[in-house]
Parts: sequence; structure tokens; C-alpha cells
Amino acid sequence: MANFVQLVILGLLAGGVYVAVGVGFGLVWGVLNIVNLAHGALVIIGGYITWQLFTALHVDPFLTLPVDAVALFVLGYGLQRGVINRIIRAPLLFTFLLTFGLNLVLVNLLLLIFGSDFRSVTPDYAGRGLEFGSIVIPYVPLISLGAAILLSAGLAFLLNRTRIGLAINAIAADRDAAQLVGIDLRHAYAVTYGLGAACAGVAGGLIALIQAITPSAGEPYTLQAFVVVILGGLGRVSATVVGGLAFGLVEAFGQSIPGSGSVFANAIAFGLMVLVLVTRPQGLMGRLR
Amino acid sequence: MIATAASNRRWRRVFLIAGAILAAYALLAPLTSLDAAQSANVPLLADKYWFRITTYIAMFVVMATAWNIIGGITGYAAFGNVAFFGIGAYTTGMLIAKAKWPFLLALPLAPIIAAAFAALVGLPLLRLRGHYFAVASLGVGVAVGELVQNIDYGGQPVFGGASGLFLPILRVDNRGLFFFYLMSAAAGVSMAATWLVLRSQFGYGLIAIRENEDAASVLGVNTTAYKVAAFALAAALTGLAGGIFSQWNVFINQENVFPIEYNVQMILMALLGGTGTVFGPAVGAVLLQLLIQFLGGTLPISFDIPFVSADARPIVAQVILGLLLVVVVIFVPRGVIDFFGGRTRLSLSYLRRSLRETSL
Repeated sequence: MANFVQLVILGLLAGGVYVAVGVGFGLVWGVLNIVNLAHGALVIIGGYITWQLFTALHVDPFLTLPVDAVALFVLGYGLQRGVINRIIRAPLLFTFLLTFGLNLVLVNLLLLIFGSDFRSVTPDYAGRGLEFGSIVIPYVPLISLGAAILLSAGLAFLLNRTRIGLAINAIAADRDAAQLVGIDLRHAYAVTYGLGAACAGVAGGLIALIQAITPSAGEPYTLQAFVVVILGGLGRVSATVVGGLAFGLVEAFGQSIPGSGSVFANAIAFGLMVLVLVTRPQGLMGRLR
Repeated sequence: MIATAASNRRWRRVFLIAGAILAAYALLAPLTSLDAAQSANVPLLADKYWFRITTYIAMFVVMATAWNIIGGITGYAAFGNVAFFGIGAYTTGMLIAKAKWPFLLALPLAPIIAAAFAALVGLPLLRLRGHYFAVASLGVGVAVGELVQNIDYGGQPVFGGASGLFLPILRVDNRGLFFFYLMSAAAGVSMAATWLVLRSQFGYGLIAIRENEDAASVLGVNTTAYKVAAFALAAALTGLAGGIFSQWNVFINQENVFPIEYNVQMILMALLGGTGTVFGPAVGAVLLQLLIQFLGGTLPISFDIPFVSADARPIVAQVILGLLLVVVVIFVPRGVIDFFGGRTRLSLSYLRRSLRETSL
């Protein structure tokens, strides 16, 4: 029983990272209709910013998250404004290929700058946690989950309560109508992608805390972001939060299967995704649009 | 626009003739390396190194042409076709290495198993459309690779595990030439299959599905059967290439038969050459594969990229490839065949028009 509770706790805590990775990806997909294959690269750029600030200036990693967000917002805004906006009306394959190309460029630029060594961020409270009898709640994943929830709440607030957020929602509902009522599409698209990139940056900061990063370490997260968004359902931040936590749980239980359960993490995740897509295409929490 | 029917036909003819001459040269030049030709003092037109590259190119011609059947003609953005390549490679590889079958008996099973697998996963997957199909097929591609590497039975890896699978070397004279012609034949088969599909009722049904699936269904096209058949055909051809690759390369593992970047490369090749056509994907495959090898420094003709050390070169090559991908997608969305094919001319106004049509 204690084992089961421990697994559930670890799964939910691990879900925090997936929530952070998923919300930005889901926002870009839901609003811009772009499956952003460069998401993993953006994530890992956030990771390197956190690592750089932590090792050079000894800033607490969690305090670097706003820096990640701002830096990635600027990068994302520029990418969308300068590059991706030019193919928004092209068929979906083109957005796939374009974002894959961007991913290739970003990852290899990181390789040129930082090399392929593993980098890790280890504050002195890493590895410690709250203990309740035999159940342990490690600090780093706990604060990560808190940060991810905070990020999602902030994003939901921005989308539902601010002027630019309402504009983004309007675009998601009907692009042409949004343009007719005077929304500057180019700017709003760039802001949306920038927000998605900012979330990716925060996710990268969290990831640098739980694993050693290399320039190509972000690629699995692009795939996992897919799964998370599909699990929860496209179009709402809260659905992605549920999807991320569910994914964390599935992964924790998948890895606990005796034998070689841990190496099937991707297969389990994708099997689950295909199952959800085929039986419940709107996701666990989604509404069909 | 200066596209008239006459100039269309003329350009078509020019490019077909040029393509035929190039193909004939590529197919015949390797023969000069035979001992008989060498002893008769025929100049050496292609050495072993070039066969290896041209065999690779032919392999990508097969994959791009096969992808075109499901992605270009049917309009389903399959993003996990590498699964079929890997399945074909492992089918042939297992039969040869574990069951001791002869190669020519094991090879035909590669396309059969790949097509059967495609039909099996295609039935649920092809109900999905757009992004959802693309993502789900990518998931299948990743998952199959992982399963093949990790499945154990009684503590022993079934498919060779992480250390891969070694095949006995095929004993034929002129091995390089043998596999070059075998892979070229596979490329020929895939283009012939595309040609036949495009001229059949089946092909018209697929095009109808691409243009408007609901309308096609109303008109009496059995969309599920057509889509699954197209997916299985693409899988069979891709699996055939995989089967040949396994015996050619002698060693297969997850990394060399399930690489995710092949998914993108075959799509890019088809797009570069022009989707939905017979020769487009092949042209794209030749161009892109030559470029990749050139940038990677593996071609005999090469040059040093200024300011770049030898260590950093593969990385810089990837950056250039990525930038190229971005530029091609933005400026040439209809493929190079489109502006070389006589329909329009490559000019600044063509690029401007492409940009205007797709940008926000």
C-alpha cells in the first residue's frame, strides 16, 4: 500500500514537468494550428539558460525560471514574426517541416556553443525531501509541480482575463473574423508563439533540475508534449494540466512493471495516445470543436 | 506566366530525356569496374565508393516514392513510415540470421510483413485526419523501434536487443554491384507502382480522397479500403528497401533502421521534387541525398567550409540543412519540379508569389 501511495505521489510530481512542457505546446497547436516540432529545442534552451545562471552566478535554479520565460518569449516572438508567419496559410506538412528545420538549426547551434557534454544543475537541497514514515516527497519535483501549476494558472489568467488573451482566443475560434474586428494577426500570432516558447523555457529550467541535459535532450519532450496534449484534449490549459499529471502517473506505473518496464516508456506512452486518439479523439477533458 | 501547352510539352520532353540519360549513365557506369571491363582497358567511370552512395540514393528514392503514395497521392501526412523500413529490415534479417533462410527467399517476406503490419495499424489510424494522423503515425514509428530493441523472451533479446543483429555476408560476385542493381530495381518497381496507381481507378479514388474525403465517400469510393490499401502499398515498398538494406549492410540495430530523421527526409524529398507525381520524389531524393552527403563531407568531391574545423563540420552541415529546409519550405512550396517543369519559371516574382500565398 505504501508502495502504491509512493508511486502515485512520484507520478503526480513527475507530471509537473509534463504539464509545463505540454501547456506551451498545446497553446501553439490549439491557436496557431502548428504542431511545433521545435518545442523540444526551445525547452532545452531554457535548460541551458538555467544551467548557465546557476553555474556562473550561483542563482537558485527556481529563481532563474522568469529569466527563461522572458528570454524564450523574445526568441519565440522573433521566430514567429520573422519565419513561421510566412507559411501559416500553407498545408500542415509545411509547418511540420519548417519547425523540424528550426529544431535542427537550434539544436546544432547549441551543440556548437555548449558541446555535447552532459550538464546538470544540482542545488544543495537536491536529493532531499519530506519524509512521512516510509513515504518520501522529494523537494525538487514538489517545487517543480508547484511552479508548473503556477505557470498554467498564469497562462489561463492571461488567456481569459487580458486583452491580448481574448484576442488569442478569438483567433483560435475564427482567424478571419478576428482579423475583421481589427486584431493585428501578425502580432497576436507572434505573441501566442512567444508565450508557448516562454512556457517551454520554464519547462526547460525544471528539466535541467531533474536530469542532465545535452543539446538533443529536448527531442523526447516534443514527443511527450504531443501525448500530454492529446491525453488531456486540445484547446484548454486545464485539460493539459490533467493530461500532464495523467502522463506522469502512467509513466511512473509503466516504469514499475517488473522486468524491463522502464525501457518501454515511449511505447507505453504512444500506445496510450493512439488508444485515446482512436476511442476518444477529443481527449480526456476536451470538448469537440 | 508563359505556360502554354506547347512549351509545357517541350520542357517535359527535355527533362525526361535528360533524366533518362542521367539514369542510364548511373546504371551503366558501375559496369566499368568489372574485371572483364578493366582488363579490356575500359576507363573506370565509377569505383566502389560511388556504388555505396548511389545505392543509398536508390534506397531513398524507394522511400520517398513510397511515401508519395500515401502522403502525396492520398494526402495523409504519414510521419512514421520509417517503421516499415525497420520492419522490413528486421524481417529479412531475422529470417537470415536466426532461421538461416537464403536471402532471395527471405527478401519477399519483408514487403509482405510490412504491408500486413501497415494494414493492421492503418485500420484504426487512418480514421484520424490531419495533424492527428501525422502524430499518431509518428508514435507508431517510435514505438515499433523501441519494442524491437527491447523485447526479451526468457532473458534473451528476441531481435538482437541493443547490440543489434548481425547477418552472415551474402556470397555473390561483385557484392557492391549486386546490391546497387537490386536497390535500383526496387526504385524502378516503386516508380512503376506509382505510375500504375496514377493511371488506375484506385489512383483516382486516392486523389478523390485527398481532394475531399467526404465527397469521395458519397461518390461511392470505399475510402477505408482505399486508404488502407495505399498505406499498405507504401509500407510494402518501404519494407522492401529495408529488407535489401539489412543484407547489404550486414548489421542492423534500432539506430540504423529506425532513425526518426528518415521520416522527415523522405517527406522533404517528395516535397522538394513535387508530390503526387511519378518522378518528383525520385528527383528530390537524388538532390537531397547528394546534398546531405556533400555537406557531411562523405562525397569524394568535397571542399572545406571556411572558418569551420573538421570536428564542427558535421554540426555546421546540420545547421545548413536546417536553414535550407526553412528556405525551401518558405519559398518553394510546390517543389522544384514545379518551376523546372514548364508550368512556371523560376523568377523573383515566382518566389514573391509563393510567399504571398502562404504568409499571414
